[in-house]
Amino acid sequence: MFAPAPAERLAALRIAIGAYALVYVMVRGPELISIAQLHRGSFDAIGVTRILSSPLAPWLAIAIGVATVVLLVLFTLGIAYRYVAPACALALLWTLTYRNAWGQPFHTENLVVLHVIALACAPAADAWTLGTPRAGDPTEYGWAIKLLAALTAATYVIAGVAKLRLAGAAWLDGEQLRNQIAVDNARKVLFGAMPSRLAVPLLGHPGWFTGFSIATLVVELGAPIALFGGRIARIWALTAWLFHLGVLALMNIVFPYPLVGVAFLPLLEPEKIIRRGMRRRARSV
Amino acid sequence: MIKGTIVSIVLLAATLSALHRDPLDDGFPLSTYPMFASKRTTKLSIAYALGVRADGTSSPLPSEVTGTGEVLQAAVVYEDAINHGGKALAALCTSIAARAPDDVVTIRIVVGIHDAVALLVDDQRGTEHVRWQCPVKP
Repeated sequence: MFAPAPAERLAALRIAIGAYALVYVMVRGPELISIAQLHRGSFDAIGVTRILSSPLAPWLAIAIGVATVVLLVLFTLGIAYRYVAPACALALLWTLTYRNAWGQPFHTENLVVLHVIALACAPAADAWTLGTPRAGDPTEYGWAIKLLAALTAATYVIAGVAKLRLAGAAWLDGEQLRNQIAVDNARKVLFGAMPSRLAVPLLGHPGWFTGFSIATLVVELGAPIALFGGRIARIWALTAWLFHLGVLALMNIVFPYPLVGVAFLPLLEPEKIIRRGMRRRARSV
Repeated sequence: MIKGTIVSIVLLAATLSALHRDPLDDGFPLSTYPMFASKRTTKLSIAYALGVRADGTSSPLPSEVTGTGEVLQAAVVYEDAINHGGKALAALCTSIAARAPDDVVTIRIVVGIHDAVALLVDDQRGTEHVRWQCPVKP
């Protein structure tokens, strides 16, 4: 847990996770504006938004979204980190919880919020910062990186356990997954969207879904092995990435955080990737 | 070191607390991740909107006409209007009409009951019960 790690590794995670969250909130901006104006009857408070008895005025919800973007810029650059990071974590928590408080919580945003909260509690701007760099003890950085990795693994384990608790061993025979995929794609068709091109022909071959079900549970319940680090972590991260690719192919559901690889960075050595990129760039210049 | 231990224990315990909750008691960001975990059949009962053209043909309207790009949130908007009755349905229908494609002359808010596999594989639509309809004003 407290194995030393370079400050640059934690800084690289701050930059990658902060930049991802920044781009995500900006891309979701138009939708956040639309949601802010939805009928108040559709508001179903969840998480921290339970302090509200009715939705915020649209201008206020949009203003908090804009403030979140500004704070994420400062967070990613490491400016005034001690003050900015907690404010940024709170703002992101609020903005994304508010988006999830309209009848349907999504499961594509939980982990990035947890990661930003964890980073906000850590000295993640001691290196590669536009603020004031600080030479800390390497043991100060290791725990935060392990925590980020453990949070990634924990979310997969919880998803796997939920399947066993709700459907039991029956989830493994493939029928449940086939039915879920069929219903999800049918719902898309009824809302004028395209179903998955791969799912429709596969629905006629139920046997495939037994394999998909088993593979899903192996990835989800096997996530803790990634905490051993090294090659095992890389293999699990690749397998989990392929799993999300499968979800995209079969359900047209994008889990952007793992698909772009940022969710798995705490299991790797991201500072080496950045350094390699910088060296390559220097050589080409 | 002490701070790291406390932060790690609190955040991990909060995240893993989902294992002690009812899996259907979802939250954010502390989720139980119940998606695709429940037992279910291929029968689907859901509210949505159809755009009817001048020649009488119809097709489902995209979720964007409700003000959200997310299918599941759009479904909640329809359900909510149906639960609130005529006045809410009329208001929703009018707002959809304002965003409908040019070739649509009537909006129908329906509750459809379909078999998901039959709908996708054989293009067989189940039954659709009209809950409200309104014209699209040119």
